[in-house]
Amino acid sequence: MKVIIAGAGSVGRYMAEQLQSSGHDVTLIDNQVGIVNNRPKDSKRGVTWYLGDACEVATLEAVGAADADVVAAVTGDDEDNLVVSLLSKQEFAVPRVVARVNNPKNEWMFNDMWGVDVSVSTPHLLTGLVEEAVTVGSFVRLLSLEGGKARLAEVTLATNSPAIGKEVLDLGLPRESTVVAVLRGGHVVVPRADTVLHAGDEVLVLVTGGAEDDVRKALVG
Amino acid sequence: MISARRKNRGQQTSDSGGDPVSVSIAEVQARQLVCVTGKVTRMTARPTSGQPALAVTVTDESGTVTAVWTGRRSIGGITLGRRVAIKGMAIQRGAHLEFTNPSYTLLPR
Repeated sequence: MKVIIAGAGSVGRYMAEQLQSSGHDVTLIDNQVGIVNNRPKDSKRGVTWYLGDACEVATLEAVGAADADVVAAVTGDDEDNLVVSLLSKQEFAVPRVVARVNNPKNEWMFNDMWGVDVSVSTPHLLTGLVEEAVTVGSFVRLLSLEGGKARLAEVTLATNSPAIGKEVLDLGLPRESTVVAVLRGGHVVVPRADTVLHAGDEVLVLVTGGAEDDVRKALVG
Repeated sequence: MISARRKNRGQQTSDSGGDPVSVSIAEVQARQLVCVTGKVTRMTARPTSGQPALAVTVTDESGTVTAVWTGRRSIGGITLGRRVAIKGMAIQRGAHLEFTNPSYTLLPR
């Protein structure tokens, strides 16, 4: 895949490194001479650096936006990210344009009007995660294993959960999932078939495949 | 009617093909710099609130294509039945192709 990244700050450089190591053709654009000249020596393989203003059509043209699969606008400046996105979409019809939102107040502009297909806002993301984590009775994905094939999820049982008072065996969990631990009052209970669940229990479930909905139904309702 | 930005394009050596190629609408392919000529057969100003956009359908004997100009609800001179030339790079949107903010030239009727 051919990827163009506008903005060689810490975000851009990290992305370039990651994408390059997974075999993509990556070009990094930055308009600061210092940044481009002081690029890490080992970046010679794979990542192409380009000194120029990504907000100009000529620059995007020079790095080959016309046949890029993805353009990522990840500078620290929302205006620049929007201009890069718009130009990529409008002038080069790039199929996937990803833009970074720095100030959450600007997020409303990061849509197809400005050529943005996907916007990523760190503050927004963090709020979502915190919100999920403090909510009782919702299904929270903690981590994914094997590239998402298996997930560890957590549910804090609310008082109206259908699982209250039931033994683990009677929960009716699908075969693709299993309860791996129950956290109760600061203790870890190793679940057995006859372990009875109470309100307030944090239930950790290992889920594979498409069993998530059934697990959610059994524990959240 | 051609914007300054488009005028400059011809002088730049570019990967995207330099000057646009004139094609019939049926021949338009995604991500190629082309110029098509046709009649305006439909105009839609979408959404009336929020961020405006003007969608114009251009038809020639071979087919139809849509051009969308963002941030405006009307363009002086572009009316139903008007002949226009559209220059730009089309993007695939589902089954059909669409130009985003292309440059345009009004042609004599």
